Amino acid sequence: MKGYNGLYLMGNFPDPEAFVEASNAGLAFFDFLEVGVPFSDPVADGPVIERAAGKVLAKGYRAEDIFASIEKIACPPGKKIYIMTYANQVFARGNGAFATMMKRSGASGIILPDVPSVERARFENDFARYGIDLVRFITPESTHEQIQNAVPGARGFVYCISIRGITGSALVLDAETKRKIVYARKYSSAPVVLGFGIRDAHSARIALEHADGFIMGTRAIEKLESDGVSGLQGFLKEIAMALAE
Amino acid sequence: MKKLPDERGYFGEYGGKFVPETLINALEELERAYRAFQKSRDMKNELKNLLINYAGRPTPVYFAANLSRKTGVEIFLKREDLLHTGAHKLNNTIGQGLLSRFMSKRRLIAETGAGQHGVATATVAALLGMECTVYMGSVDIERQAPNVARMKLLGAEVIPVESGSRTLKDAINAALRDWVKNVRTTHYCLGSVVGPHPFPMMVRDFQSVIGKEAHAQMRKQWGGDPDFVVACVGGGSNAAGIFSGFLHLTKIKLIGVEAGGYGNAPGEHSARMRKGRRGILHGCITYLLQSDDCQVLPVHSVSAGLDYPAVGPEHAFFKDNEIVEYVRCSDKEALEACLMLSKLEGIIPALESSHALGYVLSKRKKFKGARVLVNLSGRGDKDMDIIRKETRI
Repeated sequence: MKGYNGLYLMGNFPDPEAFVEASNAGLAFFDFLEVGVPFSDPVADGPVIERAAGKVLAKGYRAEDIFASIEKIACPPGKKIYIMTYANQVFARGNGAFATMMKRSGASGIILPDVPSVERARFENDFARYGIDLVRFITPESTHEQIQNAVPGARGFVYCISIRGITGSALVLDAETKRKIVYARKYSSAPVVLGFGIRDAHSARIALEHADGFIMGTRAIEKLESDGVSGLQGFLKEIAMALAE
Repeated sequence: MKKLPDERGYFGEYGGKFVPETLINALEELERAYRAFQKSRDMKNELKNLLINYAGRPTPVYFAANLSRKTGVEIFLKREDLLHTGAHKLNNTIGQGLLSRFMSKRRLIAETGAGQHGVATATVAALLGMECTVYMGSVDIERQAPNVARMKLLGAEVIPVESGSRTLKDAINAALRDWVKNVRTTHYCLGSVVGPHPFPMMVRDFQSVIGKEAHAQMRKQWGGDPDFVVACVGGGSNAAGIFSGFLHLTKIKLIGVEAGGYGNAPGEHSARMRKGRRGILHGCITYLLQSDDCQVLPVHSVSAGLDYPAVGPEHAFFKDNEIVEYVRCSDKEALEACLMLSKLEGIIPALESSHALGYVLSKRKKFKGARVLVNLSGRGDKDMDIIRKETRI
C-alpha cells in the first residue's frame, strides 16, 4: 500500500484472541499498529472508540492484560507497534513502570492525545531512555512557529490531527490545514501521518495526496465489531488494493 | 508566599495543561485576554457594576444567633445563596462572559452537575446576547430537574450526557469534545477551579470577591476575624474564593469539606483528599480517585455538585502544604444540617453548602466557643425533591 500508514485497534477488543488475530491481519497491510490501552475518560475519542474502551474495561482487562496480548502479535521486521492511551495511565503508574511494560511487549512508541507540546518534556525524556518514541502532534490550530518547534526533533512519525474534533468525525481538509501539512513535511525527517476522519479508500486517498500516510481507527473498530476478524481483513484488503502503488 | 500558579500553570506539583494539542492556542488566547482584562479599568468597572447592580453584591455575612445558641459555636454565614441565580457560580460566569465577548466568541458552552453553574452560564448568555449549550449528565438531569427547566427558560440548550457515570465528570468530557470541535467560535465557560491552566487561576480570581468581602465584613460588622473558615469542596471554587481572603492570616484555620457519602468503598463517597492519589484528569495533575489500574473510580454524594472524582489543583497544593485542612461530611450529616438551618434560621441551604455546615455541627465539640465562618455557597430550592425523599417530609 502507498504511504506510511497505521491501523488503530483497541487492545483486547472485542476479546484478546480476536484482537491478536486482527492485529496480525492489519500488519499484513499497514506499516504500524496503534493499540489503544483503554482509559475511563477518553476525551479525544468519539462514541465508537469510547464504547469499545468501556467494553474492554467492563470485562475487567487491565493495562497488563493488553500488553500480554500485544506480546503475542507477530510484528514483522521493520513494522512497529505504538500504544495510544491517556496521560493518567502513564503518569499514575510512573513513566518507568509504563515504559517497562511497553518494552517487554514489543511496543516501541506511544501516543498520548492529552499531552500537548507544552507538557511533553516530563514524558519524552523518560521514554527516550527506554528507546520509546513519544509521538508529536500538529493540528489545524498549530502556528508555523509551533510546527517548527515540534517537527524537526520528531521520532517515529508526526501525528497530524486532520480536523478540529474527535476520532470518528468526518474528514474535511481546509486550505489552511493543507498548507500546514506541506510546511510540516518540509521540516520533518519523520513521516507526517494524517489521522481522524479516515474511513475508506476515498478519504485515505485524500490523506495520501497531502501527507506521507494515514491512520484508520474508528471504521476499523466498527468493522471488527460488526463483521469479525475476517470481515475486517476483507475491508482492509480492499483498501490496500485500491491504494496499491 | 510566591503568587501561584507559576507561568506554566502549576501550583507546586499540581496543575498544568493536559488537553489535546488543538486546544493549546485557545488556552493561550484566553490567558492573554484575562491578563488584558486585569489591566483594563473599563472592563473591571463593567464587571464590578454587574456584580453590584445585576448580581446583588455584596452578599451579607449573617450571624446565625439561633444556631449558635443551640450549638455553642458562634456561626457566621457568608450568604452566597442570596446572589442572583442562587449560588456563588454567577461571580465566575459574569467574568468569563465578559472575557468571551472580549475575545469575540459569541457561543458559551458549560458543564454542570447540580445545575447551578449551568443556570449561571445560561443567565450570562441571555444577558450578553450569546448562544449557550450546557452539558449535563442524565443522572443529574433527573435529580436536578428545576435547574434544567431554568436553563431552558433562559434560552440555553441542555444536552444530556449518557456516557460513563452520566454525572459531572462525563459532562466535562462532553464539553471538552465540543470545545475541540468549535474552538474558533466558542468559549468553554468552565465552572470550577479545575481543568487546564488558566481556568483554576481565573475561576479562583473571579470567586475571590467572596473572600475579600467576607474578610472586611467580619472585621467591620462582627468584631474581628473568625477562628475558622469552612467551605465545601467539589471542584473547589467557592472554597478557593472564600479562602483567598484569609490565606494571608495564618492564625485563621481554613477547612475544606469533601463529600463523605455513605461509606468508604469506591462509589460510596467523593473523598479525593483522603482516598485519592496523584493523577491527571480534565487537564490537570491533582488528587484523583482512581483504581490500581489508574481508571477513574465512580463517586457518590447526595449533592450533585460534590460528586466529582478530582479536585482543583490549588486545593491539592494546599493539602500537601498543610495550608488547608480537608475533612469529610457524610450525606446524613449534611441532610441533618440542612434541616437544622431551615428550622432554626429560616434558611434552606443547598446540599453542597450543607456539607460545610454539617461538618461544623457534627464536630461541634471541636468548635465550642470558636468563631466559625461558613460559606453558604448556594440555596436549597433545587434540592427539594431529594430533601423530601431523604427526610420523608
